[in-house]
Order: sequence, then C-alpha cells, then structure tokens
Amino acid sequence: MTSLEQQLQAVGRELDYPAEPDLARAVVARLEGRRPFAWRRAAALAFAALLVAVVAALAVPQARTSLLRFFHIRGATIERVDTLPPAEERDQARGLGPAFTRAEAERRLGLRLALPPLDGEPRVHVLEGVLATVILRPHGRPVLLSEYEAARYDLLKKSASGKAVIEFVRVNGSDGLWLEGPPHTLTYFARSGEFRQRTVRIHGNVLLWTRGGLTLRLEGRLTKAQALRLAKRIR
Amino acid sequence: MVDRPLQEPELVERAKRGDLRAWETIVREYQGIAFRTAYLLSGSAADAEEAAQDGFVKAYRALGRFRRGAPLKPWLLRIVANEARNRRRSAGRREALAVRAAAQVRPGDAVPSPEAALLAGDERERLLEAVNALPEDHRLAIACRYFLDLSEEDTAAALGIRRGTVKSRLARALARLRESLEAEE
Repeated sequence: MTSLEQQLQAVGRELDYPAEPDLARAVVARLEGRRPFAWRRAAALAFAALLVAVVAALAVPQARTSLLRFFHIRGATIERVDTLPPAEERDQARGLGPAFTRAEAERRLGLRLALPPLDGEPRVHVLEGVLATVILRPHGRPVLLSEYEAARYDLLKKSASGKAVIEFVRVNGSDGLWLEGPPHTLTYFARSGEFRQRTVRIHGNVLLWTRGGLTLRLEGRLTKAQALRLAKRIR
Repeated sequence: MVDRPLQEPELVERAKRGDLRAWETIVREYQGIAFRTAYLLSGSAADAEEAAQDGFVKAYRALGRFRRGAPLKPWLLRIVANEARNRRRSAGRREALAVRAAAQVRPGDAVPSPEAALLAGDERERLLEAVNALPEDHRLAIACRYFLDLSEEDTAAALGIRRGTVKSRLARALARLRESLEAEE
C-alpha cells in the first residue's frame, strides 16, 4: 500500500460520522409488524395534528382565520389569511437555538450548510437538531439565514395578511418565494423527541428558496433585489 | 455447558427459516458499516438511517435468493447502498462528501503538541478537500475503499460496479489526487 493510500486510511479512521442508530431493534420491529416511531413518522403525525387543529379552528366562528391562498415550495408553505394566528415576539438573536462552529453544526444536522463567502468562522445556531441559522450582516444590519433539509416534509409555515406581497421568484435556477410587507407569523415544527409547534411574529421581509436537498430562508430588512443578490452568493 | 456463539452461515440459515433473533444478530454485526456506507453515499444522516433500515428489511425478505455459502457482507452492502443512492438521487443532493475530520483526540491516542495537532489537522483537511474535488465516481471509490476500509469486493458491491472497475477507478483517482496535492505544494 502506498503512502497516499495509508494517509487516506488514516483520514478515514478520523472522520466524524453521525452517531450510529440502533437499526437492529428497528428492523426487527418492522419485520414483526411493529413500525418504530421514527422521526419522519413523527413529522407525519405532527402534520396530521396540524390539519386537525386547522379544521378545528375553522369550525369555531370566533377563532376563524380563513385561508385565502397557499404558496408552496419544497419544505415551506406560505398561506395568506384574514387574521394572523396568535404569536410570540422574537428578536433575531434569540430563540434560534445554541450556537456552534460550522463543523459541529453540520455534524449535528447531518448535512453540509450553504453559506455566502464570510470573513471569519461563522457561529451557527441549531434549533432542535433540524434548523440551522446564521446571522449575516451584509449591509450592516442583521439578516438571518436559516436552512434545513426538507426533501420530504414541510418544517416551516408562514401566515401573512392580505396586505403582504407574496410572489414566486427564481433563485439560482430554483423555485423561491418572496414575502414582503407587514409583520407575518412563522410556525415551525421542532424535533426534540417529539415534534412541537411554535409560532413567532416576524417583522422583516423573507426570501425562501430551495437548493439541492436544502430549503433556505433569508429574513431581515432587505429589499427584494438585495435579498436575491445575497441569495445568489449562498452556495 | 456454555452455548457457543452461532457462526454467520448458521445465523443466515436460521433467519431464512424465520428466526428474527438470528437476523437481529446479523443486523447488529453489520449496522455500523451499513450506516456509514449509506451516509457517505446519501450525504444525509436521516436518509442513511432509512436506507440502512430499509436495506436490512429488504435483505431479510430476499434471503430466499441468497446463495448458501456466499459472503454476506457485500450482498448486504449492495442492497443498502442501492437504497442510499436512490435517496441521494431523489433529493438531488450536493456532491461533496458530508464528512469532516474529527477534531478531538481519540481515547488511547498520544496527545500531540498543539503545533503537531494543527499540522496534522491541516493535512487531513487538505487531503479531504482534494478528495472532495474529485469527480463523483472517483470520490466514492476512494471513500468506500479507504475511508470505510472496505475490501475491493465490498467496494464493488457498494458502488454497484465490477471489481475490475473498482481497481481501475481507484488507480485513476489516486493518480489525480497525487497530481492535485503536488500542484498545491
């Protein structure tokens, strides 16, 4: 074996893989007909619960929030509503989860993050092992870049009033959505043993788009042109 | 009298007859390498877990077609890797390997000086970057053969190619790696 092959093997021994799941128990449970409570099943159940909640809300006249139109890209949905759902206030630096180095965040998320060119090592906030957020300052003001892997399930739902501008855009050849105007709400489904729902009020404009298996989101006081320019640098 | 642990061919025969405990023992033996292989191929921990789990379930159901006396590991890896590749394709996932060198010292390792650790870490990252810059088929051959330490036969099974193709692909990949590393110096 050559020196290069030995070096490659040595690197291989030091690679940082995600924690190995206990497959044996899950496989046997499936073969016995007992489907284990995998996280994607939890996600499906969370959506079923959400549907039930929406139907229940619509059934109560005082709580009715009529849905006017849905806009959807993979991993995210924006709905236009008459009345925004109840939401908590959140400033940009809080409620994003603990911060890690990029490498540690990627290890926890099990994916490679897409980021714009940065001067230094970014601090990546990770919420519930699913949603990564980096605070960028492209024009001196903070802008949140959030991303998550949502090839099969929606994790984000935004509700916007009738005054908001919602339009489809293209970002680096992929589908995107631009949301501009008055405050809107963001609901996400977090994974921490079980899915839970949380709704926060957002005051900035938002660009949502997909890139490979990732769904990305820019949020801040940005114009559409600024957001699109920034998004093109995120790779 | 102490029961001796069952050998793999015996476990396979029992599993063929519907013994799920025997299959559980086999899964436990191979779940680590199956998960890591699926992770390198799919680029996602969640997909790797699903691919490996689905692979072991499908393999159990296909045991009737498994030839007695044949090596089990490449057969299992072929099924799991196929599941992982399908998920990668359907997700349109990025090409680079989703792995990084671990920063921490492993238990039992001698503790290097800070300078030595920095240099070693830098070398690792440089090599990993060079591997990531290779075309996908070369990169995956390197990853399976050296990073996962699979045999040529197992690498062929994981990548769904012939053993001769593994040899030639590795030779070309190593040559390109040498070129790119020398060009940097």
